[in-house]
Amino acid sequence: MRAALLLLVPVLGWAQNLQNVLKQGEQVFNKSCATGYCHGPKGIPAGAPRLAGRGFEQPYISAVTARGVTGTAMPAFAGSLSRPDLTAVVAYVAALNGIANPTIAPMGPLGPMAPTPPEQQLPAEAVRGRVLFYDAVRGFGRCATCHEINGVGISVTTPMVKLPADVAALRALTTPGVSTVTLAGEAMPALVVSKASRAVVFYDLTIPPPVQRTVDPAAVQIAEGSGWRHASVIGAYSDAELEAILVFLRAAVKP
Amino acid sequence: MRFLPLLVALAAAYAQNGADWPHYGGSQSAWRYSALDQVNTGNVKNLTPVWIFQTGDYAENLQSTPIVVDGVMYIITPRAQVFALDAAAGRVLWQYKYPTPRPGRPGGMTFMQNRGVAVADGKVFFGTMDNTLVALDQKTGRETWKVNVDDPKQCGCDITAAPLVVKDKVVVGGTGGDAAHRGYLTAFYIQTGRLAWRWYAIPAPGEKGHETWKGDSWKLGGGALWMTGSFDPGQNLIYWGTGNAAGDFNDDDRLVPDGKGKEANLYTATVVALDADTGKLRWYHQEVPDDVWDFDSAYECILLDREVKGQMRKLLVHMNKSGLTFVLDRTNGEFVRAFAVPEVQTWISGITEDGKLVGRKEPEAGKVVSVCPSLTGAKSWNYAPLNEVCNDITATPTEPQEGRFHANGSIILKLPPNRTTYSHVDAWDPITGKRMWSYPYKYILLASVLATGGDLVFTGDPEGNFFALDARTGAKLWSYPTGAGHRGSAISYSVNGRQYVATPTGWQQSITGSQLAPLFPDQAWRGGSALVVFALPEGSK
Repeated sequence: MRAALLLLVPVLGWAQNLQNVLKQGEQVFNKSCATGYCHGPKGIPAGAPRLAGRGFEQPYISAVTARGVTGTAMPAFAGSLSRPDLTAVVAYVAALNGIANPTIAPMGPLGPMAPTPPEQQLPAEAVRGRVLFYDAVRGFGRCATCHEINGVGISVTTPMVKLPADVAALRALTTPGVSTVTLAGEAMPALVVSKASRAVVFYDLTIPPPVQRTVDPAAVQIAEGSGWRHASVIGAYSDAELEAILVFLRAAVKP
Repeated sequence: MRFLPLLVALAAAYAQNGADWPHYGGSQSAWRYSALDQVNTGNVKNLTPVWIFQTGDYAENLQSTPIVVDGVMYIITPRAQVFALDAAAGRVLWQYKYPTPRPGRPGGMTFMQNRGVAVADGKVFFGTMDNTLVALDQKTGRETWKVNVDDPKQCGCDITAAPLVVKDKVVVGGTGGDAAHRGYLTAFYIQTGRLAWRWYAIPAPGEKGHETWKGDSWKLGGGALWMTGSFDPGQNLIYWGTGNAAGDFNDDDRLVPDGKGKEANLYTATVVALDADTGKLRWYHQEVPDDVWDFDSAYECILLDREVKGQMRKLLVHMNKSGLTFVLDRTNGEFVRAFAVPEVQTWISGITEDGKLVGRKEPEAGKVVSVCPSLTGAKSWNYAPLNEVCNDITATPTEPQEGRFHANGSIILKLPPNRTTYSHVDAWDPITGKRMWSYPYKYILLASVLATGGDLVFTGDPEGNFFALDARTGAKLWSYPTGAGHRGSAISYSVNGRQYVATPTGWQQSITGSQLAPLFPDQAWRGGSALVVFALPEGSK
């Protein structure tokens, strides 16, 4: 009797925890998956296929949820959902497929432990700088128009390796890679991408965003150097904002 | 007197009269009408396939409108493969393949679809899944310039619509209106690809209209301009419809405290007129203030001149996703009339004389609210016939995250009860709003309607039939099984005096097509990606 009770208590606790995880999974599912455009509530078909009663195994559900399906609208959720949310939604979809006891994340005394995404480890000033770097409100005046950091932003320039010491140096950057291309009588600051016998490819930096041009080699002259200055494209930012961006870059750019 | 379907009227100045099909909407007045009349009600029964082109890109269906200029057809596939074809024989003149696009933001709103190219100034222009606007050499198909319009990794948006060429500029919008994103149009010079102007659908602090947004919601409030606009050179204005406000089904985070019952979240779900040279707003008319149904107003703006109360007026006719259709004076945006085209409408009880919504049935957080029509639209994004489909909306307020889907709820599509047909091709008088005839169909129709000078109306069904109706009566005159469901946009053109009718084929595998298909579980509508081209047998008249 006493032994049975001892056995029962952990089982009840586990069942209660499973119910909580499945409830959490349903909430995540309704928010992230059952959007009308994608799957339907409780795994019915909508824009994307039915997920309920398909006979899916949990490892398959887990892999597809985490990694997505290449070439379809199914995204990889590994980077966008927290670990507990991911586990919960996978368990929920497993339950929709008749798996009575889906594997759920082990619960510590303080609840599920999720690895903190790297950006959340940034100091507050660097987070402010990151927001400014990608700031959509600044349109083409934002840093990300030409720079990619950690996979976000447009990689017009080569990856940053050396950072300017301060805001004055950031403004004064001459960027030695910029040449002067003359096309149809017009000279323009340019980043040359390639020079082949069939075509010359370069970015026209006259006005952001940079325009990638592909031209007949006979139609262009390329001269070293340019009057172009980094200061001419970062006018959307104040000195204080640039300082915050530098803090972000120092934290994010790995030499 | 004769009536052409779906708001296509007869003022010849704005129709596409020539042999070509030079613009997405036929002309830049967006009529999707060809004046060619070699194929007519008398001989359409003899129409026969003359060539077929398989694109080989079966990622999605073929949604794009072919462009024909000087006997050459330009067509783009979902993965942005562009083909230049001999329009009389289907022979490939050149082909271009866009490199594998940069992936979009997980959970964003990027679509593997492409709805067309624009051709002008010796170039072929199109947008891509990773928000690049590309200009190819019209003769060789080689890239001349390309420019990134936005980062798909951040905005969760992409370009699916055909660009609009306006004088020396090419203008393009983007998707993302159901994501946390701020919609815009961007104009680039066709010669150099350099930025000319950008217009944001949501005004920034200090700009008129900004006061209609709560807090910081303007930064991520939707309003995507995800279809193709129109251009009136006489007014020097471009006209565009804007998308819904985001999040879609709940306005808690975007509506100002006293915002009910008036213009809200400007300029979402609105028709706007912009100066063609500067992109400055000249006038606007908001159709769905505080849109909580995803009834965005992104669809085509049809420009026509017609007599109203004895006076010739320059008009703009515009239908949004709800099926509400507005007639505006396109010189100043003055409201002329509005009428509703769905047979089943429960989201409002009606509209006032001046076009205001009455009896709004709004979604409620945590509850199921059933409304008709559904977010798939009384009409889809293209020049499609009308569908009678409802949806149960459950609103779930969520925090917006830039570039991520922000619907604020979910829906389940439902067919309205007590019906045996769920779509119809209609002919409406675009000014009076009177329905002249209706051709019902048992499932749903999602392919564009083409009207021609031969008094014909062409469209296709999901079962794979491409068919012609008599534009005066709606009687079916001809049908041909092309083998795959129809979701694209047919055109007509002529080469060396022979008229052709070309239709893209392939049922849509992702949203809308696959959202609606489960309503008819006994059906299996086929995907594909082929262009089927018809003409009268050679030598016949």
